[in-house]
This record gives sequence, structure tokens and C-alpha cells, in this order.
Amino acid sequence: GGAMSFLKRFPPPAEGVRHQQPDTEAVLAGRSLGAGTLYIAESRLSWLENSGVGFSLDYPTISLHAVSRDLTAYPWEHLYVMVNAKFEEAETKEAPLAEGEEEEDSDDDAEPIAEFRFVPSDKSALEAMFSAMCECQALHPDPDDEDSDNDYEGDEYDVEAHELEQGDIPTFYTYEEGLLHLTAEGQATLERLEGMLAQSVSSQYNMAGVRTEDSIREYEDGMEVDTAPVVAGQFEDAEVDH
Amino acid sequence: MEISHSVKERTIAENSLVILLQGLHGLVTTVDLRDESTATGRVTNVDAFMNVRLAEVTYTDRQGAVSHLDELFVTGRNVRYVHIPDEVDIRATIERQLQIIHRVRYFGGRDKGRKEFPRTKHK
Repeated sequence: GGAMSFLKRFPPPAEGVRHQQPDTEAVLAGRSLGAGTLYIAESRLSWLENSGVGFSLDYPTISLHAVSRDLTAYPWEHLYVMVNAKFEEAETKEAPLAEGEEEEDSDDDAEPIAEFRFVPSDKSALEAMFSAMCECQALHPDPDDEDSDNDYEGDEYDVEAHELEQGDIPTFYTYEEGLLHLTAEGQATLERLEGMLAQSVSSQYNMAGVRTEDSIREYEDGMEVDTAPVVAGQFEDAEVDH
Repeated sequence: MEISHSVKERTIAENSLVILLQGLHGLVTTVDLRDESTATGRVTNVDAFMNVRLAEVTYTDRQGAVSHLDELFVTGRNVRYVHIPDEVDIRATIERQLQIIHRVRYFGGRDKGRKEFPRTKHK
């Protein structure tokens, strides 16, 4: 038989491994690739056969994953992973299929699909494997998301981290207080942002309503700002009306 | 289903209809996928990126073959439709979810707790 040409030798992932499951068989489209270890890492999903060859899957290419315990559908309990890509299946073709290339006997006119099953010898691990994959998938949101409303500029304001270090102190400063608490790096960032604003005041880019003197709070919390002019202290007693 | 600990995710949810899907937590719902397969199961989580997690799922693949999955996670990108159950009052669900977010945001009352400022465009 022929080896699957997409299998490569590489070292197991060392960082961000949320779950590792040894003694796990990998199956592609019904063909077993052997026994090995599944690594569910934050950067990618990897499986390495005990001989040291294996493959990796990038989370953005994974459409869905599931725990299957339905033995009438497949005889072993497993983690099912559907991938939006084509993988060479042994003995059918010489060259690897390019993504999107059609096969005669499948009706995937729109999308290439590859179905992987990971069958752990320890069935009780399936929950943990599934959850680890959910967590890692959530780290890779779709960059092609058409909904531009999701584009929130600026850094995310980590409320928990800020509260931890502040204790009972309110989590927001007035502008003057905030300046006192800036680190050297923060000061440099502030100057850079003010410089950018000064340059872009006359541009069409949607930063309307942001004034340098009063705008620091909006940058800190990373929210899109209303087009109305900002006044210092405007939000201090906000009652939100939706 | 917890409200996300992420400011960004709460803001996304509050400003899009993902908030409606998050209100379906615990309800049996059918999700049509981009590849024309469908999954019917109980919603256990929907995040701001519309990744949907279902339990006790009946999954029908694009060829029509039916199988049962204990748990299914489908990425937001691959969700085509979510069938809102008939019994769901959409407006009340959205309002309830908004209240939950605001409870997180304003916990501790004025001048305390988290100060997250939503866009005030919609009035």
C-alpha cells in the first residue's frame, strides 16, 4: 500500500497544548492512519503516529467537531472532525489534490470536505477532547467575517485584570489621574495616538467625534465612539438608554 | 450559558443578533450548516462569533444520512440558518439577554463595578 503523502515528520507541539490524548487512532474517510497521539493545541490540531509521522489541521479550516457515541453510525466512540480541505487518500491518486479540486464520485461541487475521526482507546476522554477543541476553536474567529460591526478598534480593556490590581478603587480614571498612572510605554502610546489624531483630523476616516484631550478614556476601553463631540466627564454618570 | 467574561464579546453580542441566539440556551434548535447538512439539538453555548455548541444532536449530513452525536460544535462561519423555535418570543428574549449583560456591566451600582460604554448610536 502507499503511504499518505500528506503525512510528515514533525516534533509534537510544545506550547499551548490544552489536551493530549495518547493511544488514539486517526481515521480519514474511513481509512485508518494508525495509532498515535492527538495534540489539541491552541495553534493547531496535530496527530502524530507512534512512528513519528503525522499531520496538523488549522482551526480555521475545521467546520465542526463532535463526539459520536452512536455505534450504529460508526462502530467506535470517537471525536469527529470535519475539515474544509482536501487530503490525499492513499492509492487513488499520485499527486496531492489541490484544494477545491473535484472528484468524480463525490458531489462536493462547492466545498472540499475531509472527515477525520479520532478514536481514543480511553473513551472517557472524549468529553475533555471535545471541550479542549471548543476552546481552541474559539481562539480562531473567522477573519472573513463580513459583519463590520464586529470591528471594534483599539485594545480590549481587560476589566478583570484591571480590577484585580485596583482593588476597590474605581476602574476608570479621570483624564488627569490617568496621566499620572501612565507608564513610560503608556506615555509613548499616548503621544503616538495623539500624533495620529492630529494628522487624521481632516481625513474622511471614521474617527469623528474623537478629541485628543478627552479621548483617552475611549481608547482605553476600545469601544467605537459616537459621532457626537466628546466632553470630559460625559460618561461618568451614564444611565444607558437603549 | 455564562455571559462572556470578555468585554469585546459582550459588546459584540449586545450589538448584533447573536444575542438572540444566546437566548436560546437550553432549547432544542435546528441549525442549517453552510454545506447543507443540518443539526438539531439542545443549545448549550453560542459565543459572539456565532460558534454554536449543541448537545444530544441529530445530525443529517449533506447526503441525507442521519446520525446522533452527543455534542456538536459548529463554527460560526459554517452556520447558515438558525431556526428559532416557534415558542420563542424574540423580543423578550433579546431584552432578557440585554438585562443579563447590563447586570454584569453595572454590578455594584453607579461609580462601581465595570464601566463599559456601549455605542450610543441606537436611541
